[in-house]
Amino acid sequence: MLALREIEKSYPLAGGSLPVLKGIDLNIAQGEMVAIMGSSGSGKSTLLNVLGLLDGFDSGGYDLDGVDMAGLSEKQAARYRSQFLGFVFQSFNLISFKTALENVALPLFYQKVPRRERQKRAMEMLGKMGMDDRSDHLPSELSGGQKQRVAIARALITSPRVILADEPTGALDSTTSTEVMQVLREVNASGITVIIVTHEADIAEQCDRTIRLHDGVIIEDGKSGEVVEPTARGARSQD
Amino acid sequence: MFNRETWIEIAHTVTANPLRTALTGLSVGLGIFILVVMQGLGFGLQNGVQQDFGDEAKNSVWVRTGRTTLPYRGRQPNRYVQMRNEDEQRITEQVVDAPAWSGRRMMWGSTVGYKNEQGNYPIVGVEPDFDELELLPLKGGRWLHADDMAKESKVCVVGENLLDELFKQDDAIGAFVTLRGITFRVVGHFSKNGRWGNSMVYVPLTTMQRVFNGSDEVDQMVLSTGDLDLEGSKAMVEAVDGDLRMRHSVHPDDVRAVRVRDNQEEFAMFDRIFTGIRLFIWIIGGFTLLAGAIGVANIMAIVVKERTVEIGVRKALGATSGSILSLIVIEAIALTLISGALGLITGVATLNAVAPYAEHDYFANPEVNLRVTVTALAVLVVAGAISGFVPALRAVRIRPIEALRYE
Repeated sequence: MLALREIEKSYPLAGGSLPVLKGIDLNIAQGEMVAIMGSSGSGKSTLLNVLGLLDGFDSGGYDLDGVDMAGLSEKQAARYRSQFLGFVFQSFNLISFKTALENVALPLFYQKVPRRERQKRAMEMLGKMGMDDRSDHLPSELSGGQKQRVAIARALITSPRVILADEPTGALDSTTSTEVMQVLREVNASGITVIIVTHEADIAEQCDRTIRLHDGVIIEDGKSGEVVEPTARGARSQD
Repeated sequence: MFNRETWIEIAHTVTANPLRTALTGLSVGLGIFILVVMQGLGFGLQNGVQQDFGDEAKNSVWVRTGRTTLPYRGRQPNRYVQMRNEDEQRITEQVVDAPAWSGRRMMWGSTVGYKNEQGNYPIVGVEPDFDELELLPLKGGRWLHADDMAKESKVCVVGENLLDELFKQDDAIGAFVTLRGITFRVVGHFSKNGRWGNSMVYVPLTTMQRVFNGSDEVDQMVLSTGDLDLEGSKAMVEAVDGDLRMRHSVHPDDVRAVRVRDNQEEFAMFDRIFTGIRLFIWIIGGFTLLAGAIGVANIMAIVVKERTVEIGVRKALGATSGSILSLIVIEAIALTLISGALGLITGVATLNAVAPYAEHDYFANPEVNLRVTVTALAVLVVAGAISGFVPALRAVRIRPIEALRYE
């Protein structure tokens, strides 16, 4: 489904450049549930940007669903994003002046789906998340868990092949975190690939596979629970 | 780009932030409003002064006399300098070469009667050339002839106020009226701008001198400068002024006793004043516009900064940079256009509402130069578009994940 080959990326700095990804090789199959772990500065959000087609890369190759993603134009990238990918964020990032229903319907706006159809599908998706009674609420009137459910509904509305979640439970208490992870597991069970970026070990443990990133390279890749805490291995944290 | 969906999106964002929308609208609307009102007032002032002036020929010199204020050649001050027919004759025959001239003498508050009606009007004695020196558009009959002067005929030409007030439905031409008890025949009537001018009754100067005071006194003298340029007319003014001062023993520095006013020079002066006023209005208008544009730019910069996260989200959800840019730019344009148009309408409405109460000798018909105002509006709209575009361009270039962690 997703294949990265020798991905390298650096950010220009005053007087040189800062390499962030130093050759990433990664294959993720359809239907996997993968956690990407790493401390801050390890390059995990850059990797998420690259995977999410939100940023380009300097060298290497990226195949998404068998299509080469190198050298995409801004427009093409936007189209693939809206076709293949759904995003879930730590701070939910719901648009504050839109109701839950309108937030969920927004991706369909960019797919040029007619308004009535958008509303209908958004309502169905909210129903699946058990949120149909909150459809006309603004984000400020929802709890954290409810917001994340709306955000997940928004990510799922376009029937994406891959869900990219950036610290989806980072702003939630442990009970709500468990609930949200439960929702993501259900999403995964329906055949959608789920990739979660997190620094919480117990979240990673709820995934099938854990990839540990350190200093721009993958240092570990294995079944969740078998990947050892970096401190246990004596690896130096960058924080 | 201009479909219904986009407008719904824009209506959404605009109404979601009423304060921000109101502030942007206010800075634009107020800018246009001030520009419109300033322009209207400027034009009103100019129209008023021009109207006040309007009826005197531009190429005329008015000669007036008064009491002396300085002793000169053994004469005490406070002596009235009276011009007489001989002065006029000498000046027009020997001192200057004027293509047209007229002596003028005025009798205020004279009783004019027609049948059973009567009223008070100023009677003015003039010579036939006078209609070349002041605009008196004839509406019927004829103007005074040289023959009337020579024969000292008891004929008069009346302003349209007398038609309304004395003659009512009657035909004035050929009618007999009494001026201070003496019967005159009406030979013509005229209508001009302004309130005063239309109450005048013009009679031949010679007739007036003969029947009313039996003298050869002239109160004012009006001379045409023909096609002389400003320099030529100045020379004419100096010649007349010098001659009168010499003949009547008036001190050269006495500004009250002999006053010779050149309309051409006054016109030139008013012209300079109005150029100045126009420039002033332009500068103020320009700075008002600038302030409005800065206000818009400022608010758009804040708006875009506030919406950095939203822009990131939209991109992650499949929006292209172009669609986000056009959303913000159209929003800015719509906002400036609507509030600018509101400012324009309010400004014009204010002028129209105030105009009837602001009638004054030096103020008339405040009008709005629509071309200038529309240009100003266009400038503001473009400024709004640019000031939305530039920060939005910066915002869409931010990588979404960074944008989303902006909070």
